[in-house]
Amino acid sequence: MAKRSFAAQNYTPAVTADNSILTGAIQGIGAAAAANGLLVSEIAEMGEASASSINGMVFRRSHVLAVGPTALASPNTDGPMNGLTAAAQVGSITYTAVTTTYPTPTNVTTSAKLHLSFNAFGGIFRWVAYPGEEWGIIGVTVDISESTLSCGFGTPGAMSSHIIYEAY
Amino acid sequence: MFFGKREGYVMVDHRASPGLPEDVARMCGYDPALCREGKMYEAASLTCAHCKVAVVKNPLRTRERANCAKCGFRYICDLCDAARFHADYVHTPFEQRFEEALSGQVQTPANPHGLILPPGFTETE
Repeated sequence: MAKRSFAAQNYTPAVTADNSILTGAIQGIGAAAAANGLLVSEIAEMGEASASSINGMVFRRSHVLAVGPTALASPNTDGPMNGLTAAAQVGSITYTAVTTTYPTPTNVTTSAKLHLSFNAFGGIFRWVAYPGEEWGIIGVTVDISESTLSCGFGTPGAMSSHIIYEAY
Repeated sequence: MFFGKREGYVMVDHRASPGLPEDVARMCGYDPALCREGKMYEAASLTCAHCKVAVVKNPLRTRERANCAKCGFRYICDLCDAARFHADYVHTPFEQRFEEALSGQVQTPANPHGLILPPGFTETE
């Protein structure tokens, strides 16, 4: 597979604690089936707030997976980073909204999470994994698979973000 | 240093921003002095071979960082290091779980995604 960029543009995340159902304005990414896996190699966030805003962003796995993710709508996108790659999305599901139930971020102490906080009033955040040390998403098992970029604390403001990943 | 070449990269740029309060910066593992207004913070990150969490490397740490000999001496985080001392511990690196999942050896719970695949979606693998 080839690397893809899943981008969400100009959204204001809502604060949602662990083990509480998310309410929207998130970036969710998961494997399409049990036999699929993803590797997330980069997460970047760009602040677009008009006043000082602490975006306590967290990339965390889901304790309850999303039910009914909806297809991405403009301006949100998910496409191959190489134009010569087939555009079809295989093995992964990316979404910013759902029709039935938003996922619940895990509060399991042994489940990994990434704190990606920054000030959305002009701030920029970027995390890049060393090749082979990427964030892994395996199948559709809770607490080790589907992950969301969402806000865990703070007084969030508008931002854009992208997640670069590769599906297997 | 076995994992010196396996470092990721974290950048938090507040050169055009009021920056983060000290408590928030500390919570995220950043250096508060470099997350204030007008500052840019850059640091190395390490990814745990067992759980895949990425941690910001603390240059002031004096305690030894753990690594796993069974994983080619790759870095493992403090929580996974502690888990290794449990009596019923079974060494399961993330890559092993990945391979087992892809090969279908792992029985996973009910699959909500099975209900939500978009119309016309076909699995090719």
